[in-house]
Amino acid sequence: MRKLLLAATLAASLPLAGHAQTAQELMAGSQKDTADVLNYGMGYNLQRYSPLTQINRDTVKHLVPVWNYSYDDNKSEESQPLVYKGVLYVTTNSATMAIDAKTGNQIWKTKVEYPAETPRIVCCGIINRGLALYDGKVFRTTLDANVIALDAKTGKEIWRSHVIDFKDGYSQTVAPLVADGVVITGISGAEYGIRGFIDGWDPDTGKHLWRTYTVAGPDDPNGKTWPGDTYKHGGGSTWITGSFDPELHTVYWGTGNTGSWNPTQHPGDNLYTCSVLALDPKTGKIKWHFQFSPNDPYDYDSVAEMVLANLDVGGKPTKVVMDANRNGFYYVLDRTNGKLIAANQYGHQTWAKGIDEDGRPIPSEVTDKVRKGEAVDVWPGAMGVKNWSPTSYDPQTGLVYANTLYFGMHYKPVDVQYRAGLPYWGADIDWIWPKGPRGFLKAIDPLTGKSKWEVPSDIPRFSGVLSTAGGVVFTGKLTGELEAFDAENGHKLWQFKTGSGIEGQPITWEQDGVQYVAVSSGIGGVYDLFAGDERLSKVPAGGSLWVFALAK
Amino acid sequence: MRFAACVVAATIFFTLSLPAWPHNAPEPPPSKAEWEKGAEFFRDICSHCHGPHMVNPGNGSFDLRKFPHDERARFFNSVRNGKNSMPPWKDILRPDEIAAVWAYVRTGGVEPK
Repeated sequence: MRKLLLAATLAASLPLAGHAQTAQELMAGSQKDTADVLNYGMGYNLQRYSPLTQINRDTVKHLVPVWNYSYDDNKSEESQPLVYKGVLYVTTNSATMAIDAKTGNQIWKTKVEYPAETPRIVCCGIINRGLALYDGKVFRTTLDANVIALDAKTGKEIWRSHVIDFKDGYSQTVAPLVADGVVITGISGAEYGIRGFIDGWDPDTGKHLWRTYTVAGPDDPNGKTWPGDTYKHGGGSTWITGSFDPELHTVYWGTGNTGSWNPTQHPGDNLYTCSVLALDPKTGKIKWHFQFSPNDPYDYDSVAEMVLANLDVGGKPTKVVMDANRNGFYYVLDRTNGKLIAANQYGHQTWAKGIDEDGRPIPSEVTDKVRKGEAVDVWPGAMGVKNWSPTSYDPQTGLVYANTLYFGMHYKPVDVQYRAGLPYWGADIDWIWPKGPRGFLKAIDPLTGKSKWEVPSDIPRFSGVLSTAGGVVFTGKLTGELEAFDAENGHKLWQFKTGSGIEGQPITWEQDGVQYVAVSSGIGGVYDLFAGDERLSKVPAGGSLWVFALAK
Repeated sequence: MRFAACVVAATIFFTLSLPAWPHNAPEPPPSKAEWEKGAEFFRDICSHCHGPHMVNPGNGSFDLRKFPHDERARFFNSVRNGKNSMPPWKDILRPDEIAAVWAYVRTGGVEPK
């Protein structure tokens, strides 16, 4: 009987063996394992760099579509696909899909249902940004704040954990991170008066392991940076996946803006909003924090990617965490202790005179006025010098490739009362548009903030960036073009027009001797909805996935 | 007591969502106060999807500048019950708030004199 049981257990576990996703594989990342793309950011360091060279500055002109897959979804498609052993996994807000990476044939599709009321607490597009793979499971979040695990082989739901009630303004778009065997997720809703947090979950069962609030409460010494009960609606969302250093056992996760934006409603530094948190993935304990924008009035949230690299700093190899912050400064920190190494402007800003040696911004007269409740013109606007669109760091050139924004705003803080499920903004804004380009793809030196080259775009790009050892930088336009640039000089090498706008995150991998590039197309994110740019009226909605390779 | 509250709410909604003017006559222009309330409400609650001052490309959300200015019942129905990407709001927005936004939308965002 016991033998029979053992045989049955073995038989049950065998089909999973081919889909086991181990911590070792995750640690390798796309820079060592070019056959797979195992996590959001193409490696724990979120560098979005591949050593593949088949597609290079000479051959890229021969890039052609291999297949196209319809998402049957007309929302913003910002999801980054993953690839594991020839299977491509991708999400939309309404489904999770596994696709044969070579042929484009669907293997399975599991729909996501959420209440019709959910989108009213989503500020900036109905979105899902991707998934995590681990131990034969696919992990994702849902718009109405549930974390779910699916069987990677069948798409069948294994567990579902409810995070929090969406009717209080909480939602999820974030791709989970698996670090030290813990599934880690963030939350959205700083514009709806949430109190932000980061959660840890057991990958096997979905059991809740820990919650770390990004808005310090009375039980935290930093809670004194919030007057009275203001911490209860203090914002601090966490909607972009963190990076992870397996040697230091530390996760680096950015935090969002304050709720409300009006700084006079909650005077103080408002920790830990607009910060990066260094966390222990097993416990969620904060090892250190660094705040970019204290008492932020402008929605300069700091959720975007915290890229890990080893840089030569004054002749010394240094483990750093790097952030192209929305506030217009490019930060380089020592990731072992959170100490500032560099903070230099990489786009136009008028809110700060500079950053002092401890990393604290020196407010400009504009910001002084805002803190007195006055109306101002300020740069950058609320979408920042760079929004969520992830950068790529190329260790060969030492440059960061970033889709930057160039527009400001008229801004007036207004008093707002909290009402559950409605926006809690506290600001009256109008965009200030420049005459020419509203965005630039820039190749930035992380230690100086200076650009080696810049490529303008009248309508700014909101796509992720991918760089490769072939000397090619890929990104996309809201008008639908997937583009390839020369990493050395920014010369345009190739483009292909997809059927909708690109807000997705390009990836690359190699299978059976062929290098592929994939990206989601589908317009409907924050710029499309909230900028009032009527030039985009000629770009239809309609989500799909494109995969390219060199013509045979 | 709850029943009474429901009756009051239903009556208010009925009054606000249905024409209070003669059948077949055009809806009279909104008061300046109602329009201002609607403009502020639109800015705070609606503009992040429908664009600042209702200016948007119309591919990710409805271009409200194209909403017919004489279809009050359709507007109330879309806001209350949702339509396409528009979520339903009836359990959270008060009828007077929807009426104020309607005042803003049906004037094309142009303040009455």
